[in-house]
Amino acid sequence: MIELPRVPGQELGMSAFTRRQFLKYSGVVAAAAAPMLTVDQIAEAAIARPLPLGTPILVVVTLYGGNDGLNTVIPYKDSAYYGARPGLTYKPETLLPLSSDLALNASMTGIKSLWDANKVAIVRGVGYPKPDRSHFSSMSIWQTGSPGAHLNTGWLGRWLDTQAIDPMTAISLGGVLPPLLVGAKQSGSALPLGGLSIPQGIIGTACQRLSVPSPSDNPLMAAAATSMRNLFNVSGTVQPILAKPAPAAEDLPTISGGNAGGDTNLSQQLNVVAKLIAAGSPTRAWSVSLGGFDTHANEANAQALLLGTVSKSITTFLSQMKASGRSKDITVLVYSEFGRRVKANGSEGTDHGTSGPVFLIGDRVTGGFYGDQPSLSKLVDGDLAVTTDFRDVYSSVLEKVLGAPPEKILSNWKGRVNALKS
Amino acid sequence: MDTQRLEIARLFHRTGFGPKPGEFASALSAGVGATRSKVLAPPSTVSFVTPPVLTDLGPRPAPNSSAVVEFSQQLRYQIQLLFLWWLDEMVTSPHTLQEKMTWFWHGHWATSIGKVNYALPMFNQNVTMRKYALGNFTDFSKAMFYDGALQVWLDGQENTAKAPNENFSREMMELFTLGVNRYTETDVKELARSFTGYQVSRTNGVVTYNARRRDTAPVTVLGKTAAMSPDEVITHLVSQNNSAQFIAERIWYRFVSSQEPLPKDHPMIKAFAGRDTYALMKSLIESSALSQTQYSMVKSPVEWFIGICRALTITPSKLPSPTKLVGFLEKLSQVPFSPPNVGGWPVDQAWLSSASAQYRLSFATSIIAEADLSELSAITSVRRPDYLADLLGVVGWSSRTSYAMRSVRDNPQRLLVTAVCSPEYVVSQ
Repeated sequence: MIELPRVPGQELGMSAFTRRQFLKYSGVVAAAAAPMLTVDQIAEAAIARPLPLGTPILVVVTLYGGNDGLNTVIPYKDSAYYGARPGLTYKPETLLPLSSDLALNASMTGIKSLWDANKVAIVRGVGYPKPDRSHFSSMSIWQTGSPGAHLNTGWLGRWLDTQAIDPMTAISLGGVLPPLLVGAKQSGSALPLGGLSIPQGIIGTACQRLSVPSPSDNPLMAAAATSMRNLFNVSGTVQPILAKPAPAAEDLPTISGGNAGGDTNLSQQLNVVAKLIAAGSPTRAWSVSLGGFDTHANEANAQALLLGTVSKSITTFLSQMKASGRSKDITVLVYSEFGRRVKANGSEGTDHGTSGPVFLIGDRVTGGFYGDQPSLSKLVDGDLAVTTDFRDVYSSVLEKVLGAPPEKILSNWKGRVNALKS
Repeated sequence: MDTQRLEIARLFHRTGFGPKPGEFASALSAGVGATRSKVLAPPSTVSFVTPPVLTDLGPRPAPNSSAVVEFSQQLRYQIQLLFLWWLDEMVTSPHTLQEKMTWFWHGHWATSIGKVNYALPMFNQNVTMRKYALGNFTDFSKAMFYDGALQVWLDGQENTAKAPNENFSREMMELFTLGVNRYTETDVKELARSFTGYQVSRTNGVVTYNARRRDTAPVTVLGKTAAMSPDEVITHLVSQNNSAQFIAERIWYRFVSSQEPLPKDHPMIKAFAGRDTYALMKSLIESSALSQTQYSMVKSPVEWFIGICRALTITPSKLPSPTKLVGFLEKLSQVPFSPPNVGGWPVDQAWLSSASAQYRLSFATSIIAEADLSELSAITSVRRPDYLADLLGVVGWSSRTSYAMRSVRDNPQRLLVTAVCSPEYVVSQ
């Protein structure tokens, strides 16, 4: 793990923050010899407009594959739980109790200590009407925020559409942009681990010229030109920070549960996000992901490893943020496209199910349980009931974290989850 | 807009991997009709590049044993052979529709070597896709059930009478034959039962029947109740009207437009009545779809790369470093045999991130450094952009791109890099 230099928090984001301080802070001095661009270019771009301290920041963690909610937040005193999935339950004494009837998976020690500090809201039974059990449809519903009509934009993409045009406002880690951040007017930027470099010299000039949309462009050609322009914008700001080494990716199971998308290196992604936030990147929303939750077989061990990674990565990320003075600004949202079937399938795994818990984590969160725990004795066709609509969570996040009226973005959705402080 | 040039450019880039030198200009003088007929040349299943010799490597030896080193080397070597073979085939094949369809089906029955691990089953799957690329879809779907790589990928071997596993049955209906919401959750569970009883050897992909694991009771799938073999139940799935609708939708989505839906009652659906994929493609190619300006698409990274190789007569396996080649495709998030998930490759805007803009640029620079540019160099610099439009099969350069090219036209390498990274080449207009 990279030790961040201790810079007094209040100095960050202020105009008095000099180029020299920025370079020292972001570690670019050592990388000044890198051939891709001059140090001056980087510093100018990065210092020009840092995010004001105190601006709330959203970090969305998508768990691809359908996380088994029942083995994440576990009804550890319910005999129906043990009856439904023999071979796939944990011994009660190994779990991390949250209340008289619910406990966290034993691997989530980091999140348990954040819970104890009242920084974790667990919204139970989250889903949407008429649950869809297809990974792709259900993930699309969650990411577009639209269970009814199919939309071509993501819920955060529609929020982006209300913001000034700026490729730095929302950034996804990884080479491919998730639908979540696709807007009609502007989309978020994708940032691969390993960083970007600005084309230089004569070819750089040619690329600058290519990056201007032409009146004869169709929409996709204009988007291609814009992606080139964003390369010039984004890479100038983030290159020096990404040049620092990241910790090695955890060794995650992919044999069972690996065919429904998502990345494998959550800790690396969050490490980069931490550095960029600390450096003052003018970014309000971040997207990271972890795949492998499609545990049709041999689930218990695989899921515990994955949940351990989620817990550890988020905990490390939040503690990294403390040094930056921005830890109070951050809210982490963790969700998956569906929960899994209550009953085990006999390959010691579970098939696709319905609702699951959503986590909100951070200083701006009022810890505790929200929404009703779906009852194991009142299953709907063998599946957990949906007790909270995910749009309640999104609306509250839009309102309280991003300061945006959710009505237009979520077609007049009225429900809220009161887990976030104003 | 010159619609003849547009349609011919699309015939090259959509139903193939782009023109070879001289092909685009000849097609322009031959006209749209002749170019369509050429694309629709009778299917052939010949491989144009010698297929890789792959052996069954057997199970992975114990960690820390002496045999494991040799095994790992062999495994890596075979995977590399397989990968380079297909890229070479895409560049070399004169039957471009056949090859493009093989690529389409790879994204349709999307199976990743990331879980399959061995090259041999992935190669066998590719051979099956090649065989049925333009063939009968019912026979194809049946053959895919017994495909070892797909069985491993979707936990087929975990699906038993005692403990059904729905992974394969759900994707069979949702992603392979019918489309989402064209079946019920009960159908998924019932279909899973009729898929029980098969086991697969991971190392070579051989699928075998095990009667003890088979659920022999009747099942009810899409209204039909019977004890059905996989062949029978798959024939039943594929015979649904929804199956013709679905395959037409998928072809439309990948060949015409992911932005605009398949028009209602498109002739492709009727053409697919006998589940003949060639007839379906013929009906698409002979329709007016490819001449309509609104249907633009972003080339996927592999399509973009193969297009450059074809135009510049570059053989991927002869590039200096296969590792570097994989590295570039990995950064662009599209490595053949490694689709990101069972839903296949993303489309359009997903390929247009700032990251991919950078990687396309460095990838293009490294490929073009290996190309023989003597012909381009022999042309006066003022005429080079027009020459490149024909060489690459581009509809036309915008004033923006012409301006960008002007600053580099004296240097053939830079000019080509600029041309292939321009919106006009990255997007199939």
